[in-house]
Amino acid sequence: MDLDKVKQTFILEARELLAAMEEALLGIEEDLNPGESINAMFRAVHTIKGSAGLFGLDPIVRFSHTVESVMDRVRSKQISLDPTLVSLLLECHDHLASLITSTQEGVEETPESHEGSQRLLNQLIPYLEGNGVIESTPVRVAAQPSGASEGGWNECWHLSIRFGPDVLRNGMDPLSFVRYLGTLGKIVHLASVVEKLPRGEDYDPETCYLGIELDLDTDADRQTIEDVFEFVREDSEIRLLPPHSKVEEYIAFIRAMPEDERFLGEILVAGGCITTKDLEEALRTQKAETLEDGVIHGRLIGTILIEDQAVPPPVVAAALDKQKKFQDRQAQEMKVVKVQADKLDRLVDLVGELVIAGASANAMAVQVHEPRLLEATTIVNKLVEEIRDNALSLRMVQIGDTFNRFRRIVRDVSQEMGKSIELELHGGDTELDKTIVEKLSDPLMHIVRNAIDHGIESLEVRRARGKPDTGSLSLNAFHDSGSIVIEVADDGGGLNKAKILKKAVERGIIREGAELSDAEITSLIFEPGFSTAEAITKLSGRGVGMDVVRQNIDELRGSIELESYEEAGTTLRIRLPLTLAIIDGFRVGIGTASYVLPLDLVIECLDLGPFLESEENHLINLRGEVLPFLRLREIFRMPGEPPTRERVVVVQYGETRAGLVVDRLMGEFQTVIKPLGNLFKQVRGVGGSTILGSGEVALILDVPQLIQLASEPSSGLRRRPATHLPPTHS
Amino acid sequence: MAKTILIVDDSISLRQVVSIALTNAGYEVIEACDGKDALTKLTGQKVHLMISDVNMPNMDGITFLKAVRLNPSYKFTPVIMLTTEAGEEKKKEGQAAGARAWVVKPFRPEQLLVAVSKLILP
Repeated sequence: MDLDKVKQTFILEARELLAAMEEALLGIEEDLNPGESINAMFRAVHTIKGSAGLFGLDPIVRFSHTVESVMDRVRSKQISLDPTLVSLLLECHDHLASLITSTQEGVEETPESHEGSQRLLNQLIPYLEGNGVIESTPVRVAAQPSGASEGGWNECWHLSIRFGPDVLRNGMDPLSFVRYLGTLGKIVHLASVVEKLPRGEDYDPETCYLGIELDLDTDADRQTIEDVFEFVREDSEIRLLPPHSKVEEYIAFIRAMPEDERFLGEILVAGGCITTKDLEEALRTQKAETLEDGVIHGRLIGTILIEDQAVPPPVVAAALDKQKKFQDRQAQEMKVVKVQADKLDRLVDLVGELVIAGASANAMAVQVHEPRLLEATTIVNKLVEEIRDNALSLRMVQIGDTFNRFRRIVRDVSQEMGKSIELELHGGDTELDKTIVEKLSDPLMHIVRNAIDHGIESLEVRRARGKPDTGSLSLNAFHDSGSIVIEVADDGGGLNKAKILKKAVERGIIREGAELSDAEITSLIFEPGFSTAEAITKLSGRGVGMDVVRQNIDELRGSIELESYEEAGTTLRIRLPLTLAIIDGFRVGIGTASYVLPLDLVIECLDLGPFLESEENHLINLRGEVLPFLRLREIFRMPGEPPTRERVVVVQYGETRAGLVVDRLMGEFQTVIKPLGNLFKQVRGVGGSTILGSGEVALILDVPQLIQLASEPSSGLRRRPATHLPPTHS
Repeated sequence: MAKTILIVDDSISLRQVVSIALTNAGYEVIEACDGKDALTKLTGQKVHLMISDVNMPNMDGITFLKAVRLNPSYKFTPVIMLTTEAGEEKKKEGQAAGARAWVVKPFRPEQLLVAVSKLILP
């Protein structure tokens, strides 16, 4: 584990924390009990600051420190979290995010980022007014500062330590400080002071009665020595005498101590700080005041007591036990392993290969008619199927995170536009392939911006139309027959068909006077170079239009439907496949070639004969429902004669159904989708390819396109030379 | 036998950096992501020093400290609290719970190492 990797962890972690912070900030205005949200925000900034400090990322530390302080004041209810502060904190969030991004790119601080920090800090400072920096308690030092070296000759620091009674209870081992002093220099002399040690019955083994007098030969400065006792100085008395102090200072030092003077004096003599003569002299002057003799009784057990930190057998208290059970449950809820996305991709790739290899083994087993082998390969295939599902589910992420980002966007954009808009989110727990979610975020952003900008009307218009002042925008995700649907609905003005037609004519997309159905008119907005905004606004008029959105969705093998009611609103539906990599396929044969249909889209299979309604109009009658059909043999210009008994596969996509006429039905199998090369990009009706167990290549049919072609035979494939495909042969 | 240190902090990166620093200095390190996790990990373990963040989800550092002191095995184990200057209130609360060793966040790994070695040497 090296530091660079940890830094990557830090960046990931910081991103997650920032996302949590943003979510909390956005939710806070509606939150009835915002305490937990505020705490979560505080913690996010706090953690980022803490970790950034470890990496020496000072700009982040400086900035987050102030943000944290402000949040702390919010947390302690010293200031209230009003909308202005929420906005400011959101800006701080953005700035932190950009600082994190710079860190990732290896840039520590640019003039711009510094300026950004400064600007926000200036805005934050008013919230901190009246909050002084609290200094930590200094060590109580009895002696004067060093420098009074006149006449002194001792080379050592003299330290006098009286540990507080609670030192042991607070988890401090007096010996550890002595040991640490040993790393700073040489302990020349040490004596224990155990005067405070009580008699047997009063003795409490958890209380510390120890004092230490020691002489330390070191080059360390006063601060360093004082800092050794940083953790005990609040409870304990610590006095320092620098080297070369005058004899009088030592004498004064002795007098200041609570213990008997003679005893201390002897220690100092033993340590070489003063001579016996000095001591005698000093004591003589004190004689009148000293009543008792200076003999100390008692054993030096303090050190021994602390050294063997007696640990009783681990008896877990009942309370702890109960707590532990609760923790176990909690721990299970939190077990999440982070894996790099490319490792997952590799796994899914390999599973894809495994699926193909499994199918190949199975095909061979069928050929050799060996029942035991067949049994074995069947089991293997079943397992492979489970592995496939599991591997794919690893890539699934909830769309909720993407949705949540829109709360921010809607808030910002609606403020900018001066529109009041309420965003509703549904189905955030719907899972989608990670790749799809990533690629979906841009088009979705565009659609949402469009809805706010062009969809929802200005306040005056809304009032005139009798709508509530606050516009409503909803994002909804759900499963629907093998695909995921994402809906963006607004209660705005809807699409103005006349305006669209006019614009389309202006742009030369359609001819003047062309007769178009409503659906055709609405779909015009997806044509390249189309924009209905009268004035190009800052938000959505960026030259890229809905055509880019459509293109993005197409790349994900998805589709867009648009439903619009004038003056009542627009609903845009994006339909996406569950996954991009592996699907359950249904294999059909035409001539010598085989094709694959996504099984999810297959409704039923029939014989063509009894259901044929009209050969001329390509219609079948499915129990009273008339459906269009397509002969794949014709579409793909397959040579040879069709069999006498043709089959129909009824497929459904969204609301529409159609029949596909094929020669043979070959059953279900797992299909690993391989993309087709650029050469085939223009070909309609095929979406990809796959490798069969036998090693053959089969084309995967693009059912939505085929349904569309079946429904409007005039624009059928037969007219398009580009669709002339070589059939795949075995 | 190397001395074992438990580090409790909800930041993975902080734990990892601290872990690296302490391991390089010759200590054994156990990581925990919050107070509850820490209490679980302490069971059946001999830990010579604990380093704990104050503000954590699920169980904060102060509650952890109080809980850990109930366990006779850890009644006298030194604990270093990681805190921020902003946490003066918490500090008082922590002192009431018996915390005396504080390292102020943000800190460099070396600073923490010094603090640790004042309490235990590897």
